[in-house]
Amino acid sequence: MSQEIEITGLNKSFGQGAAAFHALSAIDLTIATGEFFTLLGPSGCGKTTLLRIIAGFEEPSTGALRINGKEVTGLGPDKRPINTVFQSYALFPHMSVAQNIGFGLKMLRKPKSEIKATVAEMLQLVRMEAMADRLPSEISGGQQQRVALARALAPRPRVLLLDEPLSALDLKLRKEMQSELKRLQTETGITFVFVTHDQEEALTMSDRIAVMSAGEILQLGPPQEIYNAPVNRFVADFIGDTNFLSLRVKAIKAGEAVLELPGGKQASARLPASISPSVGSRVTAVIRPEQAEPTPAGQGEMQAIVESATFFGTDTHLHLLLDDAQGFVLRRQNRPDQPSPAPGTNLGLTFAPGALRVLED
Amino acid sequence: MRGHGWKWLLCTPALIVLVLAASGPLLIVAVYSFLSPGNMGGVVWEFSLEAWFRVFFRRDIFEPDQVAWNTAHLQVFWRSIWLSLQTTFICAFLGFPTAWFIATRPRHTRTIWLFLITIPFWTNLLIRTFAIQEMIRNNGTINAVLIWTGVIDSPIQMMFSEFAVLLGMAYVFLPLMVLPLYAAMEKMDFSLVEAGYDLYASRLNVLWHIILPQVKPGFIAGSILVFIPAIGAYVTPRILGGGRTMMLGNLIALQFGQGRNWPLGAALALLMLVMVVGALIFYLRVVGRSDGVRRG
Amino acid sequence: MGCAVAKARFSINRLPGFGLIAVATFVMLYLPIIILVVFSFNAGVSQSHWDGFSLRWYQAAFNNSQVRDVSLRSLWLAVTAASFATILATLAALGTTRVGRFPGQTMIYALINQPLMVPEIVTGIALLIFVAAIKVQTGYTGMGYLVAAHTAFCIPFAYLPIRARLETLDHALEAAAADLYASPIQAFRYITLPLMVPGILAGFMLGFVISLDTVVITEFVKSAGQDTLPTYMLGQLRRAVTPEMNAIATLFLALSLMIVTAFFFITRTRGR
Ligand SMILES: Nc1ncnc2c1ncn2[C@@H]1O[C@H](COP(=O)(O)OP(=O)(O)OP(=O)(O)O)[C@@H](O)[C@H]1O
Ligand SMILES: [Mg+2]
Repeated sequence: MSQEIEITGLNKSFGQGAAAFHALSAIDLTIATGEFFTLLGPSGCGKTTLLRIIAGFEEPSTGALRINGKEVTGLGPDKRPINTVFQSYALFPHMSVAQNIGFGLKMLRKPKSEIKATVAEMLQLVRMEAMADRLPSEISGGQQQRVALARALAPRPRVLLLDEPLSALDLKLRKEMQSELKRLQTETGITFVFVTHDQEEALTMSDRIAVMSAGEILQLGPPQEIYNAPVNRFVADFIGDTNFLSLRVKAIKAGEAVLELPGGKQASARLPASISPSVGSRVTAVIRPEQAEPTPAGQGEMQAIVESATFFGTDTHLHLLLDDAQGFVLRRQNRPDQPSPAPGTNLGLTFAPGALRVLED
Repeated sequence: MRGHGWKWLLCTPALIVLVLAASGPLLIVAVYSFLSPGNMGGVVWEFSLEAWFRVFFRRDIFEPDQVAWNTAHLQVFWRSIWLSLQTTFICAFLGFPTAWFIATRPRHTRTIWLFLITIPFWTNLLIRTFAIQEMIRNNGTINAVLIWTGVIDSPIQMMFSEFAVLLGMAYVFLPLMVLPLYAAMEKMDFSLVEAGYDLYASRLNVLWHIILPQVKPGFIAGSILVFIPAIGAYVTPRILGGGRTMMLGNLIALQFGQGRNWPLGAALALLMLVMVVGALIFYLRVVGRSDGVRRG
Repeated sequence: MGCAVAKARFSINRLPGFGLIAVATFVMLYLPIIILVVFSFNAGVSQSHWDGFSLRWYQAAFNNSQVRDVSLRSLWLAVTAASFATILATLAALGTTRVGRFPGQTMIYALINQPLMVPEIVTGIALLIFVAAIKVQTGYTGMGYLVAAHTAFCIPFAYLPIRARLETLDHALEAAAADLYASPIQAFRYITLPLMVPGILAGFMLGFVISLDTVVITEFVKSAGQDTLPTYMLGQLRRAVTPEMNAIATLFLALSLMIVTAFFFITRTRGR
């Protein structure tokens, strides 16, 4: 697979001297052609800034940016084979849907007939044929979003940048657009760089995810890897729900730590290369709520008492108190033949080897 | 994008016209007020403080060392200020209920009322003054109606009096009071009025303690918007006041007409400018302070 | 529910006497103008005694060559000055709106708004002095002085709606145009300028009305034979006036009203 975007040692700061604000630091990133790549992170972590730098609205302070092998630093947005779907859509209010979609091609001085054909094709792609002559103010939010998408796709860019394009939509429309986006990406084969702070959206749609925080990329990998093997506490906390346990190290052997569980039993967990705790110290370990299972009291790795239960439709979250008073959330599939235990019930907990992971703080 | 030059470049054509035809000439006025008058108007290029002296004082014709207050001028200054204050008061008295009336209309009719108040604002001041003149002339509408109904036998003289000027100014400047008051009321939080009634306040209490404090900025803005053109009024006193009830604007114009004393006219014009700028500074101070209070 | 109905009937927003004063104010505001218009159709010479309907004063006004002259001059001056003012104000608005703070900005605002703050009579005599000096130097006595004076006076009025319109424009639109391969000039031509048009139109209309209304400045700047409609009327008002003046004023009013109405609609229909 060829590399579409290569970013090396990129830094971006706003302002000068002591007042300078470092929005992005030491970003290294390659995005492959045809990839659905997602930037995920909390508000203000620099996602939009990174996107704007790729699009050419902002210049990096230091570092290199190559698109399709070509250095583009200093090139304006109108000179880059990249289009953006703006967070606010930024549809031209005085142009019809068709004129909006055709704008990029017109600027590229494509022949009229070609523009017409492409616009028709795009309208069909986003299923907006019936609304070609309406003004943006005359169509709904979801339709505007589709027009913004079609407008960005019409010039057939190599890369499409999407800045939280679904954030303004309600849940149902959002789910619909998620699958539509995915379909468009597969059909067109264009590289998508997608920004969101919705972890579920990121997990379901992406080929790879970069989790960002405070201007840095903390972890980069496919959704499964990000979810199952978060590199640190922040990533584990940001993606999905997690139980954090503070456990004492009993022994260390061959990259594995033997940890003392609440209640006294022991379990071993892989140690990440970045940390080497001493025997007797405490480390942070995590278990995902759905990766532990209840057992009859007295059995399993740990013992707990049910404090409360919250019903979520498909499953129930059991809030447990472990032997050493640490809290633990257990997610349990709802089944009619297995009513969830009442508060005060004692039960045991077990988990598969590998579910328990030690994390960098 | 870094440089600011292009912004200045875009403004330059407008600035050239403004400096040549608005700001620059004001500086010349300042210079002229320190020169000596020419015989047939114009100036003689000799430095003199005489114009500024004559703004306030008068010399005896035969004994130039005898100095007295220039009571004619002082009277005009006083009349200008007093009439302007009265105008402002009348406009406030009529404008507040009017603005309130508009602000409390249902949304769709509100636009119509607002439009009705905007029309006089944009129609020629001269024509509106003319309309008032038609009303109060000796053989004008009011007198005709009064005589026809038998209330009076002979017309009442209303023109060429301070009353006529006051009436005319209140009439032409009223929209300037209503519009900012309306703007303030539109922003007002009407639930506070409800809360006031809820807490047993009477209508008067609600008006005084809840509504007035909220529309105060609009009141101040409206007062300044009326007071400033009233102080600078020229057309209305000229038509309705005649020679006996001159205002400062007419006194200035006189120096460039029959008076043939350009330096004195220039000095008087600067005096007017000082009054207006003073009113503006007062406005900015007061509004700045009330804003500060709200923020703090 | 019953409680809410009772509250609505109590009508918290009504203050006693306010409605009466307001209605009286509207009547006082419009009555003189209505009477002025009505008597422009009077068959007799009186402006207070109705002698039946006729259009004779309109005929008289149309046949009065002086009235024709000053009216045409007023219109020409208003169109010329408003056009210049609109162009200059558009450029200035582009230079001062949505660009962040820059050195000298306050001074530019002060200069642009100066004609709004300085009394017309002061500007008028200032221009009188200045123009007199130039006339002596150059001998030029054409309409240029009036055009320049009116243009300067109209700039702040034209600037206001243009700036207001520009401020509502989202920067993202121009960014989107650039993203879709438009050069800065193309982005201006296809996005910024078309979206500014309502503001520019409104600015032109305001400038036009203001120029048409300006009497004091014109009075002091004009040379012999350069009367505009307002200065002509001002001169006539000192004499005994006939309903011909009412007819002229009515036509003038109608023109202003048309423009103000159009302005009202242009500034109210946003989005397009
Ligand atoms: N032009 C600028 N000048 C100064 N600081 C800026 C500028 N643009 C962005 N920043 C700062 O850089 C940081 C990152 O901003 P950015 O818009 O990239 O965040 P984001 O991750 O997109 O957040 P969100 O999810 O809220 O959109 C923020 O703290 C922001 O305040
Ligand atoms: Mg963002």
